[in-house]
Amino acid sequence: MSKEEVYNVVQETIMDVLPDVEKENIAIEKQLKDIGANSIDRMEIVTMSMRELNIKIPLMSFAGVNNIEGLVNVLHENVNS
Amino acid sequence: MLQKSTINITGMGIVSAIGDTINTFTNSLQQGISGIHATHPKLEPKLSVQIAAEVRDFSFREKLQNIPNIPEEKLAKAKRLGQRAPFVIQSTILAALQAWSAANLFEKKLASERIGLVVAGQNSTQKYQYDLLSQFKEDPEYLSPRYALEFLETNQVGVLSELFEIEGEGVVVGGASATGNVGIIKGYQLLELGIVDACLIVGVPADLSPMDIQGFINIGAMGGKKYNQQPSLACRPFDEEHEGFIYGQASASIILETQQSIEKRNVASLAEVVGYGYNLDKNSSANPNLEGEEKAMRAALQKAAISLEDINYINTHGSSSPLGDKTEAEAIYNVFSNQISHLYLNATKGLTGHCLYTAGMVEAIATVVQMQHNFLHPNMNLETPIRKDIQFCGKTAMHYTIHTALSNSFGFGGINTSIALRNNN
Repeated sequence: MSKEEVYNVVQETIMDVLPDVEKENIAIEKQLKDIGANSIDRMEIVTMSMRELNIKIPLMSFAGVNNIEGLVNVLHENVNS
Repeated sequence: MLQKSTINITGMGIVSAIGDTINTFTNSLQQGISGIHATHPKLEPKLSVQIAAEVRDFSFREKLQNIPNIPEEKLAKAKRLGQRAPFVIQSTILAALQAWSAANLFEKKLASERIGLVVAGQNSTQKYQYDLLSQFKEDPEYLSPRYALEFLETNQVGVLSELFEIEGEGVVVGGASATGNVGIIKGYQLLELGIVDACLIVGVPADLSPMDIQGFINIGAMGGKKYNQQPSLACRPFDEEHEGFIYGQASASIILETQQSIEKRNVASLAEVVGYGYNLDKNSSANPNLEGEEKAMRAALQKAAISLEDINYINTHGSSSPLGDKTEAEAIYNVFSNQISHLYLNATKGLTGHCLYTAGMVEAIATVVQMQHNFLHPNMNLETPIRKDIQFCGKTAMHYTIHTALSNSFGFGGINTSIALRNNN
């Protein structure tokens, strides 16, 4: 799966969790909290994306992530492994 | 300090099987429309009782749009808090918004720390947890982190206080089938103690899991056997053929407010709560207790400082349980004795099903709308009353002016409550 496809999944998940957010408000370099996600929303975006992509890795794997791109990268690294 | 102020109902809201606004609910009561139907035939596992008064075709987003006079920013906030929340949260948000709007609290605001919140509900996440279980057993990693908030009953306190910006006391109370009345009583006490000036009381629907329903079947409390194929006939409070309760769903909400506060805000009172009785039978079982029920009604009258002849209507607990109905009818007869002919009785559960934790709230609302519109709703399935010496409403609505009413709710575990409501129109 390409990084672009993973990003698409993450975008859909963000819009699911944050009903007021439109696709054009999401940019890969942004932080989730910049688009209105509180800490629980952020955790939910992570677990829902993992589920969608069928990835099972410890949540600690996302510890160093500080924007949407970081999240997409960790997911992408693990998606086909 | 105990306030001697009158306690008013200034707003009400409901999402039930027979109406998702106060107006549609009132109309269903007038027309005798029952919400009791066969449940979805494909529900698994198959249970022996497949009859209930469910809230059907529920769409949070749609129903949210239909509530009048909600400021835009509140709608957005409600959407955000409710959109992905379990059904019980969504439906309480809707009922609470209706009540808040009806009480004019969006425009004529109160200091947020002078508003209290009583969430009347228990075991509200049973179905939510049951539905998550099979997936959780497969993939525990994917459990939503929100679960840690949502499985707590107090999540309702958090969600509703955030939505309505309530900063007074907030609490969850339970009392089995008397939970609704317990909520009203606890709200009343917060006002009486002068802790707050207004209180949002929210009844959380019983969203039973199949396991909970089977439990009620196995303990012998649930009806729906003889009339399994005729759901609308299954709930028969005070009828010779009653055989147990029929499960109903409803969220319901009431705003209680002191007299001083409504004068200050210049808003109308819909009715007054004038008294209550609340006692325990010291009994852990499911059986009713004649003495405890009598005591609850007498205490409500005493607290209200009114006499028997002031009461001309009782909204009964009337759950269609043979022993429960018999005991309540006897308790009412014993309390009212030679005044019994001044009273009419009906049982709202005949139309709404037994809404369990919200039954008391639903029935307080039913009592107030009957006061406002001068009628008594029918007892659709009451063909052969279990007693001839008590006046039960018949099969059609009757024109009637309620002066002061009692509304009874009794719960498993020996919980007896009765509240007194006065028509101040």
